[in-house]
Amino acid sequence: MSETLSPPASPAHTSAGRAFEASSFIFFALIALSLAGLVWLDTGWRGIGLFGLGGILGAVFLSFQYGFASVWRRALVGGEVMGLAAHFLLIGLCAIVFIPASLWGLNAVGTVAPVSVSLFIGAFMFGIGMQLANGCGSGVLFSFGGGSGRMVIALPFFILGSLLGSFLLPTVLEWGSAGPIAIAGSLAELPKTALNLALIGGAGISFYLLGRRRRQHLPAALIIASIVIAVLCWAVFALSGHPWGVTFGFTLWGAKIAQDLGVPVENFTFWQWSGPARSLQHSLLSDTSSLMNIGMVLGAGILASISGHLTRQNWPSGRQLVAAVLGGLLMGIGARLSFGCNIGAFLGGIASGSLHGWVWFVLAMAGSFAGIQLRPKFGLSK
Amino acid sequence: MTLTPKNIYMIIVLAGTILLIGDHLTSPALTAAGSPSELGNACAPCGAPCIDTDTK
Repeated sequence: MSETLSPPASPAHTSAGRAFEASSFIFFALIALSLAGLVWLDTGWRGIGLFGLGGILGAVFLSFQYGFASVWRRALVGGEVMGLAAHFLLIGLCAIVFIPASLWGLNAVGTVAPVSVSLFIGAFMFGIGMQLANGCGSGVLFSFGGGSGRMVIALPFFILGSLLGSFLLPTVLEWGSAGPIAIAGSLAELPKTALNLALIGGAGISFYLLGRRRRQHLPAALIIASIVIAVLCWAVFALSGHPWGVTFGFTLWGAKIAQDLGVPVENFTFWQWSGPARSLQHSLLSDTSSLMNIGMVLGAGILASISGHLTRQNWPSGRQLVAAVLGGLLMGIGARLSFGCNIGAFLGGIASGSLHGWVWFVLAMAGSFAGIQLRPKFGLSK
Repeated sequence: MTLTPKNIYMIIVLAGTILLIGDHLTSPALTAAGSPSELGNACAPCGAPCIDTDTK
């Protein structure tokens, strides 16, 4: 995950003089083409479109080093809030399309998940995890795609944690839930959108004005990245029928691997709910989240090969790798309990006008604060 | 071969690809990529059930 708000630190920006890694490029290109062929055979243009959008998102995130964990840390530690203003710009742009989807003629619906005890616990856990692993859902994925040693360790534990979270979720849901709550859900599309945009805009403008008062600057690259990612999110929404989500794919990967190892995953309650059960029975390439995640890794891998980024990766210290393990596990469990990560719950939830997205934001921010206090114990700076 | 992040990463990607293709060839495929929410018993793409209409 990015350690900087200010460009340039990205692979694309630092590629001058770096060797183009031809063998790595061919490796990723061959895998991408092979998988694209399989996707094409079953799911046609829609599948190829989602796979390609994942690839573009991976390259864009890596290129701009668009981060959540580092931005939140900077806000909590140093009071640098311009990154949060950019996040709410991204969310606001998405909300313009997600909430009044029918008015745009789209056959798509937003992400409205329950406001439950599990959401509070999971989002807080996720916040701790993202600070220990130095990346969130999207961050782990694109940094892994870019060959990050830390994420090579964090991702498998994210997957494991996500599987454990799927075993826990049905029990934790019984601890209490108010059900899914759409903000201004009883209003017509236009006033509902207007009210949600006022809330999102209010948050974004507040962070921007606070930053200006502190003489902070919102980098143009961050604004551009937010707009580009928003456009890509619109495309995902239109093509998949729902907002972009990352972590269900991880859960499914964990379940498939566990099944291969003889674990009767299908007997657990979560995997008997018809949606997850269908995903478990069918090919990973039929699952939207998996398809996009794979595309994201390959997109980031191809960009990293072109920019010579892969060979510049080093192992973090042992203590930092332990933090990556713990962070991955906490994020995995937390994401499942709280119905997503910074993409599915924070971005997708708030941009869909779902109260759970706002609750997720507050609790994950609180968890991030706790995680930041733990970072020095693992040799990580606050 | 030294265990650099790049080498480990490449091995994981290759192993993942083999597992993925194996899974694809041994599992029924859908003609349209989908997510749990499309079956109507989930409120979100993550598979979270709609509490009011949960059909366990």
